[in-house]
Amino acid sequence: MARLELSNLHAKVAEDDGEKILDGVDLEVFSGEIHALMGPNGSGKSTTAKVIAGHPAYEVTDGEVLLHLEEGDFGEDFEIAEDKRTWNLLELEPNERAALGIFLGFQYPAEIEGVTMTNFLRTALNAKLEEREELFEDDDAEDEAEEEDVGYETSPMEGNVDEGEVGVAEFQQLLQEKMEQLDMDSKFAQRYLNAGFSGGEKKQNEVLQAAILEPSIAVLDEIDSGLDIDRLQDVSKGINALRDEQGTGVLQITHYQRILDYVEPDHVHVMLDGKIAESGGPELAEKLEDEGYDWVREQVYETA
Amino acid sequence: MSTQVHANLTREQVEQISADLDEPEWLTETRVEALEALDDLDMPDVIRTPGRDWTNLHALDFETLVDPLNAAEDKDRVSDEGIEVLEWSEALAEHGDLVEEHFASVVDPEENYLTALSTALFSAGTVIYVPEGVDAEDVKIRTQMNSRSLFNYTLVVTEESSSVTILERQSTGDDVEGERYYSGIVEVVAGENSRVQYGALQNLDEETYNYTLKRGHADTYATVDWIEGNIGSRLTKSSVETYLKGDSSETKTVGAFFGHDDQHIDIAARVWHQGEHTTADLVTRGVLDDQARSVYEGVQDVGTDAWDTSSYQRENTLMLSDESEADASPKLIINNHDTEASHSATVGQVDAQDLFYMTSRGVHPQVAKNMLVEGFFVPVLDEVDVDELRDDLEELVAERLRE
Repeated sequence: MARLELSNLHAKVAEDDGEKILDGVDLEVFSGEIHALMGPNGSGKSTTAKVIAGHPAYEVTDGEVLLHLEEGDFGEDFEIAEDKRTWNLLELEPNERAALGIFLGFQYPAEIEGVTMTNFLRTALNAKLEEREELFEDDDAEDEAEEEDVGYETSPMEGNVDEGEVGVAEFQQLLQEKMEQLDMDSKFAQRYLNAGFSGGEKKQNEVLQAAILEPSIAVLDEIDSGLDIDRLQDVSKGINALRDEQGTGVLQITHYQRILDYVEPDHVHVMLDGKIAESGGPELAEKLEDEGYDWVREQVYETA
Repeated sequence: MSTQVHANLTREQVEQISADLDEPEWLTETRVEALEALDDLDMPDVIRTPGRDWTNLHALDFETLVDPLNAAEDKDRVSDEGIEVLEWSEALAEHGDLVEEHFASVVDPEENYLTALSTALFSAGTVIYVPEGVDAEDVKIRTQMNSRSLFNYTLVVTEESSSVTILERQSTGDDVEGERYYSGIVEVVAGENSRVQYGALQNLDEETYNYTLKRGHADTYATVDWIEGNIGSRLTKSSVETYLKGDSSETKTVGAFFGHDDQHIDIAARVWHQGEHTTADLVTRGVLDDQARSVYEGVQDVGTDAWDTSSYQRENTLMLSDESEADASPKLIINNHDTEASHSATVGQVDAQDLFYMTSRGVHPQVAKNMLVEGFFVPVLDEVDVDELRDDLEELVAERLRE
């Protein structure tokens, strides 16, 4: 079981005199759990998500982001050595964090012209598997393994070395399956990544990518914004499937109670001025929906 | 004109080149006149910004670049049924009248210093003649340059309701110590309701200076399409131009370049709308890495009588390093208000948000960048329907990214 742990996390915009945004965030997400992170605009929700994934626009000034893993988190055949069970994510590149099972669903997914969904996702999946191997490789065995790699490349039995662990045909099948589950039109597979997609299609595509990459922890930044009710249900179904079928832990950032009717959270957190101000169960979200954030603010500053 | 080549370039040499090709008197005279005009001619125009000539052609040392009597090359010409793809002396022998009628009818030899130099000295020539009603594909002219300097000339004539697709490519064969010069002039005469698609892929070695002028005249209902790929050379000065003379004539120019190290790429796409109901679409995309520089000029000139004109121009340059430089100037000159036109140019870097999106999904940053660059060329490559050109351009881009 994986556990994402944010402790005393402070971050600012990465420039001279950059604005301080996170002011001591403490949060823990286990795989298999669904957390909702709510709060008014500008409270630091999106920044939290981006810092977890390693966005270069933010600089962490204090605190930690740790990922704790257990044997079996990457399948039965994947051995996780004891000294490689806790990772300081802040020391890792975004692609290395992805390899360890972190996924960020973007509020505004990039539109990438000229790169098909299929090509991108297969590249990402293979890169993730390859990077993971490297991260967990026994340090002593590294040199040996490299020699072996060279041997593979020249072996006529290996076929195309660019192929990666998941071949084209295998990937096509996987993609098609996941698209069907999400009720997505198969024509999206050959379209350029998010290019010309509607707002809803982009969000659906984020969930699809999570389904393919099978993250341990998925941080979904306002996945519900800009969705009509039908699409909201499709997307919600996808998020529930991540948890139920893959055991993914979900940290869902949202403004609205609406999606929580479909994706029932185990925990709800309210963020205010760069900190978690209040945590509770699903009933907290309902209270926020009815009463807004003012009472949280009052409560925090009265006790302070 | 202060740049001189005359010290090692004489009338006798020009006459010898002409005699070796069994040329008629009119052509020898044209060459000699071009030689004699050199003194009074200027270099082709270049883009100037305050304090700077972006492409300094005056700095070229023609003394050492030009070796008039050595024009070693390997040329491979591939023809198609029903048309003629002839080397120069053969073309003069079999179609002397046709050559005389059209030679220098599109590009004036004395237009500038470099066209005159090319006219005086060219020894490698090709004539592509497409008779009325014939449809031809897969014409290829592959030139491998083995000498210090090479002057190339191509004439394309299509008669009424014919069509042809041509791929011309330049690369370097034998090594020559020091710098080199390649010059190419292409004239296209597209007859009524005919279609010419002319693709070029320049991949000369990076010691070679390259001057190229390609120009077409489109008659009524004719189409002249260009594909202009530039990967090689130390410096390229290239212009691709169409005169839409006939009513309802069309042109599309698709350009792609990729400069690295200290390559300098100066390209222009120009169209003159002269007939009525004419359409032009100019699309260019380029990538620069290291200290490479690019200069782009796009001109859409709508004439007084060019009623009902449609004219579109887009240029995008992507810079992969902070040391690369680019200048782009799209120009739109409208003398007839009955015109629908657009023009735009952008210069930018790889988008940091795009990059983060891709790396956050597990893709290595270098791989992500390569995918973005390859993706950047896709809209241009999609417009290229000469398979060999598209595939090779794609491959050359991929190779350069992984050097």
